[in-house]
Amino acid sequence: MKQQGPANLLEMLTYIIAVQIRDHSIVYVGTGLPMVAAILARKTHAPNITLVYESGGQDPIPGDMPWSVGCPLTWRKSPVLMEMAYSFGQSFNGYVDMAFLGFAQIDMYGNVNTHQIGKDLLNPTVRLTGSGGNNDLSSLTENMVLVGLQTPERFPERVDFITSVGHLDGGNSRREAGLPGNGPIAVLSQWGVYDFEPASKRMRVKSLTPGVNFDIAQQSTGFELLRPEGEIPASPMIPDDILNILRSEVDPRGVFTTMPS
Amino acid sequence: MSTYSYNEDALRNLKIEDTSILDRLVDFESARAAHLKKERGKIDKRMDLKEAIATFVDDGDVLSDAGFAYVRTSHQAYFEIMRQGKKDLQVIGAPNTNQSYMINYGTVRYSHNSYIGAEMRGTDRNYSRQLKNGKVGILSEWSHGGVALALKAAQLGAPGLFSKQMLGSDIIKYNPYVKVMQNPLRDDPDPVAFIPAIYPDITIIHAHAADKYGNAFIYGPVVNDTALAIATRKLIITAEEIIPESSFRHNGRKGVVIPFFYADAVVELPFGAVPGNMPGYYYWSRQWWEKTMRLASPDEERFIDHFNYWVMESKDQFDFVEKLGGAKWIAEARRQTKSAEGDNEDIDFSYKEYNINDDPGIYY
Repeated sequence: MKQQGPANLLEMLTYIIAVQIRDHSIVYVGTGLPMVAAILARKTHAPNITLVYESGGQDPIPGDMPWSVGCPLTWRKSPVLMEMAYSFGQSFNGYVDMAFLGFAQIDMYGNVNTHQIGKDLLNPTVRLTGSGGNNDLSSLTENMVLVGLQTPERFPERVDFITSVGHLDGGNSRREAGLPGNGPIAVLSQWGVYDFEPASKRMRVKSLTPGVNFDIAQQSTGFELLRPEGEIPASPMIPDDILNILRSEVDPRGVFTTMPS
Repeated sequence: MSTYSYNEDALRNLKIEDTSILDRLVDFESARAAHLKKERGKIDKRMDLKEAIATFVDDGDVLSDAGFAYVRTSHQAYFEIMRQGKKDLQVIGAPNTNQSYMINYGTVRYSHNSYIGAEMRGTDRNYSRQLKNGKVGILSEWSHGGVALALKAAQLGAPGLFSKQMLGSDIIKYNPYVKVMQNPLRDDPDPVAFIPAIYPDITIIHAHAADKYGNAFIYGPVVNDTALAIATRKLIITAEEIIPESSFRHNGRKGVVIPFFYADAVVELPFGAVPGNMPGYYYWSRQWWEKTMRLASPDEERFIDHFNYWVMESKDQFDFVEKLGGAKWIAEARRQTKSAEGDNEDIDFSYKEYNINDDPGIYY
């Protein structure tokens, strides 16, 4: 479907993800908006990034939007096509700078749940996908960025199941559990950009989508958000020329960037 | 059979009392014994799919999902397993998407989970329902990397590997096999996860081409399949075509070869990965997966009707391809995969999402 008019929330979010990506970096992407954002970054400010996909593709040439991480578009003319264990090893060994993944729930310490809604694994309210590569990347990657829609249910005080450790119980607990890397450095939602306070490792507002204030963000969160010092900056809005690239070149059929009706 | 010391917390959390059900997956001695008994000679191992499944898939086996969910997975062989009424399989894989529809028929009874679902096609509401109805039991939870390393350990000939995956997570509380230990080489606290080598009973790998001895050629993502070929006790190779052995010796092919001596059976099975994607040959049927995940999955009766029509009432993969749209579907699926791979950039990649009010008759 051809989209027109001002940017919708998913398009705004895509841009916020894309600007996190530095040129000349190795970026690991999951299905959905992260994939769209990485391709947008490559077509705009970061043409020299190397994309890594879980099913084995590395550095594919851009094509249409992949429908899954196993899609041929994730290994289109890739110089190398590796086995599954390789790309996780690559993260552990320090050859992935940043990874982007989604979540069903995320808590105040950036722990992620993609397993289930409900506490009982043997009898959940809803069983979800389970880990896939989510745990591996959260465990091993230097800098994790987590992306998803923000509601109080999706941002609970404690996730129903820790699929992937973020900052675990805060403080130094991630490292004490034996995990390398910085853990999650950012959480991106339609309402804002969040980071983690350096000592407690609790989620903190970094910037908010224009028109959104702290109270709105707090009302969409199931735990107490930390406030940064001073005035909260507005997240960058997607400029018209980049919105145009997103709509015409990156996701022309709005597969991932059309708001559900 | 050896004795094992499983993670006690996980046994309690998973409510597993009789642990013998867990042993097969990590029983190295019986896997090695099975490997030692395999045919060494270059003999013609060709047979038809029905015979291969009847001979090599036993009730209660640990079946590994292969390929990547719907990429180069031997779906049509899984469908034949269902048609033959095999029972009580355990499934492991990374991902293990394809166990779900086999649960409804009693074919699969137990899961070693890493990933359930079909990515952008949505969460797997059928699996969720089967779990809540007690039709499937969970024997272990894993990350993709955890399963990949467990298979890699088997391939490399190691009893296990130490890794940093899964530490601190709830996955470890539901995995009887993975143990958190202190890194033996360090004095300061350094937790590591010991991931044991795993050995499925039966693996079916769909290849682009194979010779009659079982040398099998794969192009595109290999995922975990070279490790699976070595770890598994029994291996069926299904292939789009059978080619002479000489073409393995003088080939300029880009891809991976699985050597013949791992294979127990070779099945010529064109369209064996349908309704999935076979790199270079055909793209996956997006509309079929949409219909399955969004329309059939939420309701038990609809789901059974759907799989009865597509699987139980199809006698082979050719029936299935006819239902997808026959030659027209094949031509379009070939154009799409070539487009996705960059071998044919001029075609339109768009399609219409599946809609019950506008069933296309051809499932692009």
